[in-house]
Amino acid sequence: MKGKKIKISWKEIKRQKFLMLCTLCFVIYGIIFYYVPLGGWIMAFQNYKAKDGFFGSQFVGLDKFKFLFSDSTFIQVIRNTLAMGVLNLVSTFVMAIVFAILLNEVRNTMGKKLVQTISYLPHFLSWIIVTGILHDALSSTGIVNELLVNAGLLKQPINFFAHKEYFWPIVAFANVWKETGWNAIVYLAAITSIDPSLYEAATIDGAGRWAKIKNITLPGIKPTIMILLIMNIGNVLNAGFEVQYLLGNGLVKSVSDTIDIYTLTWGVGQNDYSLGTAAGIFKSVVAIILIVAANAFAKKTGEETLF
Amino acid sequence: MKTWKMRRLVAMLLTLLLALSLCSCGGGDQPASGNNDGGGSGNNSNNDNSGNNSGGNNSGNKDIIEFTMFTAMPGSEINDDNEIQQIIAEKIGAKVKETWLTGQTDSEAIGTIIAGGDYPDFINGGEAMKSLYDEGVLVPWDDYLDKYPNLKEMYTDKEWDSFRQDDGKIYWANVFQNTYGENRATTHNDEAFWIQVKVLEWAGYPEIHTLDQYFDVLDRYAAEHPTMENGTPTIPYTMLCEDWRYFCLENAPEFLDGYPNDGSVIVDKENLKIVDYNTTPTAKRYFAKLNEEYQAGNIDIEFATQTYDQYIAKLSTGAVLGMCDQWWDFAYSVNDVFKQQGLDKQGCNYVPLGLTIDEGMENRWHTYADTLNNSSGVAITTSCKDIDAAFQFLNDMLDQEIHDLRFWGVEGVDYNVDENGLYYRTEEQRARCADPSYQASHMCGYSYMPQWLGTSKDGKNAMQPNEQASEFFDDLAEPLLNCFKAYGADSYVDLIGSVVEENAPWFPMYSFSNAMDTTTPGGVAWTKMGEVKHEWLPRVVMDPDFEGTWEQYMEAYNAVNPQAFLDEMQAELERRAAA
Repeated sequence: MKGKKIKISWKEIKRQKFLMLCTLCFVIYGIIFYYVPLGGWIMAFQNYKAKDGFFGSQFVGLDKFKFLFSDSTFIQVIRNTLAMGVLNLVSTFVMAIVFAILLNEVRNTMGKKLVQTISYLPHFLSWIIVTGILHDALSSTGIVNELLVNAGLLKQPINFFAHKEYFWPIVAFANVWKETGWNAIVYLAAITSIDPSLYEAATIDGAGRWAKIKNITLPGIKPTIMILLIMNIGNVLNAGFEVQYLLGNGLVKSVSDTIDIYTLTWGVGQNDYSLGTAAGIFKSVVAIILIVAANAFAKKTGEETLF
Repeated sequence: MKTWKMRRLVAMLLTLLLALSLCSCGGGDQPASGNNDGGGSGNNSNNDNSGNNSGGNNSGNKDIIEFTMFTAMPGSEINDDNEIQQIIAEKIGAKVKETWLTGQTDSEAIGTIIAGGDYPDFINGGEAMKSLYDEGVLVPWDDYLDKYPNLKEMYTDKEWDSFRQDDGKIYWANVFQNTYGENRATTHNDEAFWIQVKVLEWAGYPEIHTLDQYFDVLDRYAAEHPTMENGTPTIPYTMLCEDWRYFCLENAPEFLDGYPNDGSVIVDKENLKIVDYNTTPTAKRYFAKLNEEYQAGNIDIEFATQTYDQYIAKLSTGAVLGMCDQWWDFAYSVNDVFKQQGLDKQGCNYVPLGLTIDEGMENRWHTYADTLNNSSGVAITTSCKDIDAAFQFLNDMLDQEIHDLRFWGVEGVDYNVDENGLYYRTEEQRARCADPSYQASHMCGYSYMPQWLGTSKDGKNAMQPNEQASEFFDDLAEPLLNCFKAYGADSYVDLIGSVVEENAPWFPMYSFSNAMDTTTPGGVAWTKMGEVKHEWLPRVVMDPDFEGTWEQYMEAYNAVNPQAFLDEMQAELERRAAA
C-alpha cells in the first residue's frame, strides 16, 4: 500500500483539483452529519431544558457524569451491554466462519445456493418480527417447551423469559439465528478468492478435507477475519436496543437493560437529555478506546489492521 | 477533449448524487425518531389533509378543519372514511384524526414527540403531561374557557382550579368521570377481583368476602374443569404486570385493607397520615397467598412476562377464571369478544367481588362520586393553527346531539327511540355495535375527548348506552342475569357492595404521584420504587422460598429510600386537606 510519498503543495493540490472537489462533497457531508451534531454534547455538561435552549441552560460541569457513575443501575447496564456485546460478537463471529467453511465444502451447487439464500433471509426481518417469533416459540405453550416436555426433559413447561440466567443466551441465539447467513457471505467471498491451485497441490500431497480447511482455507481468510473482528469490536457496545427492549420485562430488567435503553428511559422518558447525552458520550468514548486497542493489538501481532 | 470534459462532468454529478443520497439516508437515520410512529405520523397527516381541504371537499360547502390528536394510551384507529366521524364533521365543521400509543410507554412516546418537536393539535400525554407543560408547548385555557360554555360546564370553578399548574394557569382537562345530572352508574368502573359467572353458578352463588375464599372457589372449579368445552386449558388466575398496568398485581393490598383507590398510598383518615401499603402486614399476607397459589400451579406461569395484548387475548378466550384489574382496562375489548364468540352464553363474563383480607371488613373498591384526576387530560398544543376552532371542537363534543352520535350512534341505525323518548337497541344492533370492524368503519366515539356520564340533557336517557338501565339489563347474557338475580343485585355496583361515602378532599392521592418527576428526591424514590417492585413482586410470587425472597425484596425496597416519597406525599396530603 505504501507508495512514493508526495509532498503536499499548492501545485499538487491544483493538479488534483478535480479529485479534491469530489472529496470535498464528502468532507462537507461529514461535517454536517457527523461533526455538527456533536455540538449537542454540550448538553451533558448542562442541566439542559429544551425551553431554555443550549445557551440558556444552566452549566453544571461534570455533575451529570458524577450522577451516572454513582447510579448503581448505570453500572449494571454497562455490565449488561458489555456481556451481551461480547457474547453476541463471539457467537455470531464464530458461527459465521464455521458456517461459511461448511457451506464451502458442499459440492452440490444447487444445494449450496439454496442453503445460502435461506440462511441469510432472516437478516432482512426486522427485530420486532424476530422477537415476536421468539416470544411464540419460547412461550409456555410454544414449540420449544412442547418439544422439551414431550421428550421427557421437562416435567412442566418453563417460562423462559422469567429467568435471568436465560436472557443473555436467548439474545445471543437470536443474533446468531438472524445474522449467521448474512455474515457468512463475506467469508464465502474471501474463500472463493483463494487460489484453487493451492487446494490441488494439497490434494496431490494427500491432504484430506480437514487438513485443507486448517492449512489453506483458514489462513486464506485470516486477513478478512481480522479486519471484521476489529470493526466488530468497536461495535461491542452496540449490543442492541430493539432485542432487549422488546424481549425484556420487569423481572429480567436488571440483566436486560443496555446503555441504549438507559439513555432512552432517562433522556427521552424522564426528559433528562443531559443525563442521556452523558451516557451516550461515555459509550462513544469506550467504543473508540476499544477499536484503537484492537487495532494496536492486531498491528503488534503482525496482522492486517484497519488504520 | 470534449468527451473527457463530459466524463468529468458526469463523474462530478455522480459524486454529488451519491453524497446527497447519503445525506438523505443520514437524515432518516436519527436514532431517536427511528422507532416512533405515534406523533410523527399524526402530524404528517395533518399537513396532507390541510392540502386536501383547500383543494375542495366533496362533502359540503364549508371547509372541514382536520385536527390531529395523539393519545398516550393504546387504542384502535378508526377508518379514514368512518361514517359517524363524517357526520359529526359536517355538523360542526371539524374532525380529529386520532393516533394512539403503540409498543412504548407513555413517557417514552411523549419524550420522543418532544425530542422531534412535531406536535399534534390535541394531545393527551398520560403520566407525561407534566413534561409537555415544562416544555412550554401547551396552550393555556384561561382566556378561552369562558367563551365555551359546554366545556366550562364540565367542572366547577373549584375543580378547574385544581388543574392549575405552578404558573397559575389551566392547560388541560381530564375528560372522564364527569356525571351530568342523575348518576346512572351500572358498571363498577374501578378495580376489583373479578370472577367468571360460570364459576359462581357452579359453586351455587356463594358469598365470597376474603382472598382465601376467592382462591378456594377458583381452585375447586379448575380442578373439576381442567379445560373449557372447546378444549382450551383453564387458567384459574392471571395477573398483568406490564409497565404501569402492574397495578393489577401491586395495589391490591390497599383495597384488601378496606381503603379507597388513592392509588399510590393509603391515607389514614383519623390521623391524617400517609401509610405505605407495600409494607403492611396485609401486603405480606396477600403476596404469601399468591405465592402459595403459584406453587400449587393455580396461577398462570406467564403472568410475569405477558404483555397487555397477550393478557387481553388470554382473557378473550374465556379460559381465565379470575384476575384483579380495573374494569376499563379489560372489559370493553373482552366483553365485545365474548359477545362475538358466544362465550357470554357460556358464562365467561366477569363480575366484581369486594374482597378484603379478613372477614367482616368494609370494602371501598367502588368510588361512588366522580374521581377527579387532574394529572392528565386533553390539551391543545402551540402547534395548533386555529386555537379557537380547537376549543370550539372540544365544546361541540359535549353538545347533546354530537354526544349522542359519539356514544349511541345514528338514530334508527344504531339505536331506536320508543314512544316515551327512551333510547334502546335491538339484539341485532347490539351485536353490530360490538363488532370491531363495524366500530372502525361506522362508530366514532372520540373516546379521549370531553364526555359526560350520567343523565342526558333530555332528562330521560343515559349519556352513554352502558348506563341506560333498560339497555344494561337487555344486554346481559343469560348467565350474567342469573348471577345478578341470585345475589339480588341491580348492577355491578350492587354486587361489589362497597361502603357508600363521599370522596375525601384529598382524593385521589395518585393525581399527585402520577405527576411527580425526577427533579425531587421523592420523585426519584418513586421511580426507583417502581423499578424495584417491577422486578421483585413477580419473584416474590414465583420463588418457592417466600420468606427469604420477601426479606430480600424488603431490603431492596428500603434501599431506594421510599421515605422521601412518603414525606412528599404527606406534605401534599396536608396541603390538600387544608385547602
